Amino acid sequence: MSAASAFASAPLSRRALLARSGMGLGALALGDLLGGPGQAAVGNPLLPKEPHFPVKAKHVIHLFMNGGPSQVDTFDPKPELQKRGGEELPDGNLKTERPTGALYPSPYKFQKFGESGIEVSEIFPHVAECVDELAIIRSMHADVPNHEPSLMLMNCGDARLIRPSVGSWLTYGLGTENQNLPAFVAMCPGGYPIQESQNWQAGFLPGIYQGTHVDTKHRQIEQLIENIKNDRIPRSQQRAQLDLLATLNQQHLEARQHDVQLEARIQSFELAYRMQAEASEAFDVAREPQHILDMYGPGTQARQILMARRLVERGVRYVQVWHGAGQPWDSHDDIEVNHRRLAKQCDQAIGALIKDLRQRGLLDETLILWGGEFGRTPVVEMPKKGSNQGKINGRDHNHWGFTVWMAGGGVRGGTVYGATDEFGFKAVEDRVHVHDLHATLMRLMGFDHERFTYRYAGRDFRLTDVHGKVIDALIA
Amino acid sequence: MLLRADQFCSTLVLLWALPWVGPQVGIAPTTAEAAEIPPEQVEFFEKKIRPVLVEHCYACHSAEAAEIEGGLLLDNAAAMRKGGDSGPLFVPGEPATSRLLTAMRYDDETLQMPPDEKLPDQVLADFRQWVEWGAPDPRTGAALAPADVIAARAANHWAFRPPQTAERPPVRQQTWPVTDIDYLVLARMEAAGLTPAPQADRYVLGRRLYFDLTGLPPTMAQVSAFLADDRAEAYTRLVDQLLDSQQFGERWARHWLDVARFADTKGYVFTADRNYPHAYKYRDWVISAINQDMPYDQFLKWQLAADKLSSEGDRSQLAAMGFLTLGRRFINNQHDIIDDRIDVVFRGTMGLTVGCARCHDHKYDPLSMSDYYAMYGVFQSSREQQDDDLPLRLVDKDRPANARIFLRGNPANRGDPVPRRYLSFFAGKQAEPFQQGSGRLELAEAIVDPRNPLTARVLVNRVWGHLFGRGLVRTASDFGMRSEPPVQQDVLDHLAATFMRDGWSLKRLIRGIVLSSVYRQQSTASDAAMQADPDNELLSHTRRRRLDFEAMRDAWLAVSGQLDGAVGGESARIAGETPSRRRTLYAFIDRQNLPGVFRTFDFASPDTHTPQRLQTTVPQQALFLMNNRFSLDAAVALAQQVPGDGDPHRRIKDFYAAIFARAPSEEELALGRQFVAARSSESVDHGPWQFGYGHIEGAERAAVVFHRLPHFTGDTWQGGPERPDPKLGWALVTAAGGHPGNDQDHAAIRRWVAPRAGIITVAGKLKHPSDQGDGVRGRVISSRQGAVGEWTAANRSVDTSVASLNVQPGDCVDFVVDCRTGPNHDSFQWQVTIAAMAPPGADGEAAPEMWRSEAGFRGPAPPGLTAWARYAQTLMMTNEFIMLD
Repeated sequence: MSAASAFASAPLSRRALLARSGMGLGALALGDLLGGPGQAAVGNPLLPKEPHFPVKAKHVIHLFMNGGPSQVDTFDPKPELQKRGGEELPDGNLKTERPTGALYPSPYKFQKFGESGIEVSEIFPHVAECVDELAIIRSMHADVPNHEPSLMLMNCGDARLIRPSVGSWLTYGLGTENQNLPAFVAMCPGGYPIQESQNWQAGFLPGIYQGTHVDTKHRQIEQLIENIKNDRIPRSQQRAQLDLLATLNQQHLEARQHDVQLEARIQSFELAYRMQAEASEAFDVAREPQHILDMYGPGTQARQILMARRLVERGVRYVQVWHGAGQPWDSHDDIEVNHRRLAKQCDQAIGALIKDLRQRGLLDETLILWGGEFGRTPVVEMPKKGSNQGKINGRDHNHWGFTVWMAGGGVRGGTVYGATDEFGFKAVEDRVHVHDLHATLMRLMGFDHERFTYRYAGRDFRLTDVHGKVIDALIA
Repeated sequence: MLLRADQFCSTLVLLWALPWVGPQVGIAPTTAEAAEIPPEQVEFFEKKIRPVLVEHCYACHSAEAAEIEGGLLLDNAAAMRKGGDSGPLFVPGEPATSRLLTAMRYDDETLQMPPDEKLPDQVLADFRQWVEWGAPDPRTGAALAPADVIAARAANHWAFRPPQTAERPPVRQQTWPVTDIDYLVLARMEAAGLTPAPQADRYVLGRRLYFDLTGLPPTMAQVSAFLADDRAEAYTRLVDQLLDSQQFGERWARHWLDVARFADTKGYVFTADRNYPHAYKYRDWVISAINQDMPYDQFLKWQLAADKLSSEGDRSQLAAMGFLTLGRRFINNQHDIIDDRIDVVFRGTMGLTVGCARCHDHKYDPLSMSDYYAMYGVFQSSREQQDDDLPLRLVDKDRPANARIFLRGNPANRGDPVPRRYLSFFAGKQAEPFQQGSGRLELAEAIVDPRNPLTARVLVNRVWGHLFGRGLVRTASDFGMRSEPPVQQDVLDHLAATFMRDGWSLKRLIRGIVLSSVYRQQSTASDAAMQADPDNELLSHTRRRRLDFEAMRDAWLAVSGQLDGAVGGESARIAGETPSRRRTLYAFIDRQNLPGVFRTFDFASPDTHTPQRLQTTVPQQALFLMNNRFSLDAAVALAQQVPGDGDPHRRIKDFYAAIFARAPSEEELALGRQFVAARSSESVDHGPWQFGYGHIEGAERAAVVFHRLPHFTGDTWQGGPERPDPKLGWALVTAAGGHPGNDQDHAAIRRWVAPRAGIITVAGKLKHPSDQGDGVRGRVISSRQGAVGEWTAANRSVDTSVASLNVQPGDCVDFVVDCRTGPNHDSFQWQVTIAAMAPPGADGEAAPEMWRSEAGFRGPAPPGLTAWARYAQTLMMTNEFIMLD
């Protein structure tokens, strides 16, 4: 039986189990807290579960370069583009969001790295050092050149409809290894990306699988996670409150059968209580020794990427690390300055993350995914009132072709998969749609994406809907 | 069951839309040809071609397709000759250039059909043969345009036909139904072999009514009065009483504000002032209109065209136009502002996604770009007028003008002008151009015309959703072709038709629903219902609901006696240092930086119209109730409000009366007693730093006599509100430093209390920034080792390091600053860092623990909660309090 189907029928069988064991949910929650494995095996929808296949990958860190990083300036070098700057494309430009003009060469140099000899742009020197760990997909494509639907597609597998995010699917399918931390954390310094919390929504899955947003602009735990501390009630007294609450809620529940909402709310208090203790420690990067802090470097990106490592190390299932609020990588103009600045903010920390996970023996079980919701055009964006300040030195959105890479977690390192055309505009060889990326990611995490379903409103839903093929070449 | 075909084709739309490079041909007539097709070719078509089209193509390319892809229809010969958005599929007799065959061959990666799998070679050969023969096709009929196909389908769409009242169907269980809708619901239940849930008890019903109609919990007195009222019409009387209350208007105004994407700010704009200072007047107008039971058709008309309807000099209704004007300002981009207004009007009132037709004709609904730009012209012909005392309002421009279509939504690429008129499909045969100014009033009249099939249905569905936790139509703001007919369509239609017939009275509509037996059912499902109808489509019980954010916050304030119940008026901030205690609907809504608590509790997004709120359950909600100052203050207030007379039993009963408006059970009493009797010596850790004054005594070994400074200003600890304090003089301590008192008995002291044993080091700088006076003396005194450092800083800064101090838990290290000879010019800065040295043999990986004086500076510890307050808080967190049966 798949993990998915095992849970799909859980609410009823679980109630039956509870009835047989004569044990209430309050008692259960306490059992979890005390770490009793026998008790903990019942009733908690976040307990670890086995996927379809035996795999090493257990965690995901999704480094989300929101706004859309340019492939031809990062991981997809195009000599032809460099040569033919200023020329018009012979067959005209593909339609993107805004008007575009002639070919616009990358302002950066590319160089070969590692044993694989894969070329990487000068703006990612630290990532380049790890290139033999990366599986770079240069033939990604999506459906439309707009942020909102593309974010929804990349995160939830559907551009329009309310669907669960990848992190929600995975926490639903795998549970989490640390019951005292949120299973799925979405970190974004300074606020929200566009589409806000929809990017980590649970959709029709139970709310407990929704991502927990953390504003990593802050340093103090009470600012990182709102209401995480209570300065007026000592912990033992709060525990007594929650024990009474669990008892009262249990009595209330017994008179009202068949209500997962009530049960979910009961559990949310226990999770909240445990979060208070463990989160303070887990999010406190100052506890890292100096040489680790130095390795990740200064700045917000370093801090949040190091936080991501601390979280997966503690068993958190899925960590999404957004570059920033809004859409920072959206370089419609001044791309040379902006992309260089953005890469500098995160490059060292991303390189450090790969090396650090490797040295801790965690890289094999942690899948890192780097990318945006789409890429950018190799042709220059033309000025348009209000959109790029009349400058002609940036690139428009590009869903026709873009690059993402993966590392660790059972990925075949030192690989380049697929290719865009000679200018880097459109994926032409071994094309990988976002659905295919999702199918592959699910396979790396141990799921057959076609069998990993959730029944809702009379239908079996899956992350990839009716699409998606696993790219075997990316799997070690 | 949804048709899946529409989804697997969606990614390929663009492929078909690629520029066509083959030769252009006209549309060949087909009926004549059909007669001439040789019989063997007809047979070939019927055996080899038509079945393939039906099986592999029609899902996306026929008049029956859920979504027609690429504007291409393959239903008949004429349609096939015509081709789609990208041009013809073939020139008859010329297979070499055929786009159809190219797609089927899968040679071109961007043009592959059918999308899921290449067809067998034999099929390709058949098609090639067929094209070579000139594509003989016996199917007659004219080539349809996708828009016509949509319009034809739309004519049969359930929501586009006028709602009708329904007859009462026969039912078996004659005693249950009370209202028309009860009969309709019961008949369907009985057909499925289900029976209605029992009626909820009086207590539950009373609570449900209070929350649904007023958004507030009933008091014990109100519940008791209702329970004691044994007249037959007690329930009806309560309904009428609540409908008449001011709180009814407040509660239901907030529901409308979700529709109206109401906020107090403009969102991101260049100018410094982001506020809409008079936004609240729109809210007040809505509250008042609802309380007066203004007919819904008039309610909408005022909001769209108050400028046209108001008589000269009458300003009483002008605030209604906030509906249109209080949206996001989109950095003052006029196109986006107009788009937002079109969206709020049509999704809000008619459940139509007209905004989809901004860049292309609607994919599913009979809404064209012409319709969109007809509306665009209406709003473009209105200008904004700012009065001193009202929300921004619209008035017609002197010279209204039609808009030109923006091709592909691009303002730089204009097509033909479109007259300002109502939506063509819904206008009947001919949509006449609007005659009066911008046409806004005519638009409003078209929306509230009783022949409009949508307006009443959409409103009724929203009302139903608020009363039952879910609308009859799940997509509350999309009644277009993608919305499936609701299971209870006759209920919706009956309510909509009677709503219009009875004068569009919201109160009457709500009254009718809450008096029904459907509404009065209990919220626990029977086993049979859970099995047969787990989603409760048949309404065989009601849904248990979590209180929404407003009802929850209002309930906490109400039961703790803190609620400021004033009706109407300016918005008030509910987060921050001095949070307002007004009802939550008056909360200041900053759409750009909405406080987290709104999001945590699924508040409506103020960015765009919100069709329906989510109901999530996440630990952040629990954390808010457990730890936020709001809930702690409410708990303290409740405990004060219900002081008891020393008898814990009585006080527990009083708590239950205040919170749940009922008496506790014996078991609940026992649990309560046990809880409040438990003793705990633990106190909250407020950190190791203390702030005070005092002096040093002891010649042998210095010891500090320490007193806490009594007064905190917000950033400074000092002797009292006055500075200097009459008794303690100039002694004060700030985050970075302070000022010594006037003599040696009043040194300023920052104290650090060791939380655990270990060896520490101290680093820091003592600075006396003034260039006058004789400076200050700083000393570090350990309660274990006495004086360990002494420095004088006069008009400069000195380094104040102390190497290796041994401390035990509770030991004090004091940083004492005195004025030397006199207190003039003696402000100082002294930031210190205490670092724990790793014990020998410890894991070198661990970072040393550090305490920084500046980071550790804090005001007075907030008061703890008594056991009774903690008890009150616990009761207010229960499912019983937050979940509405």
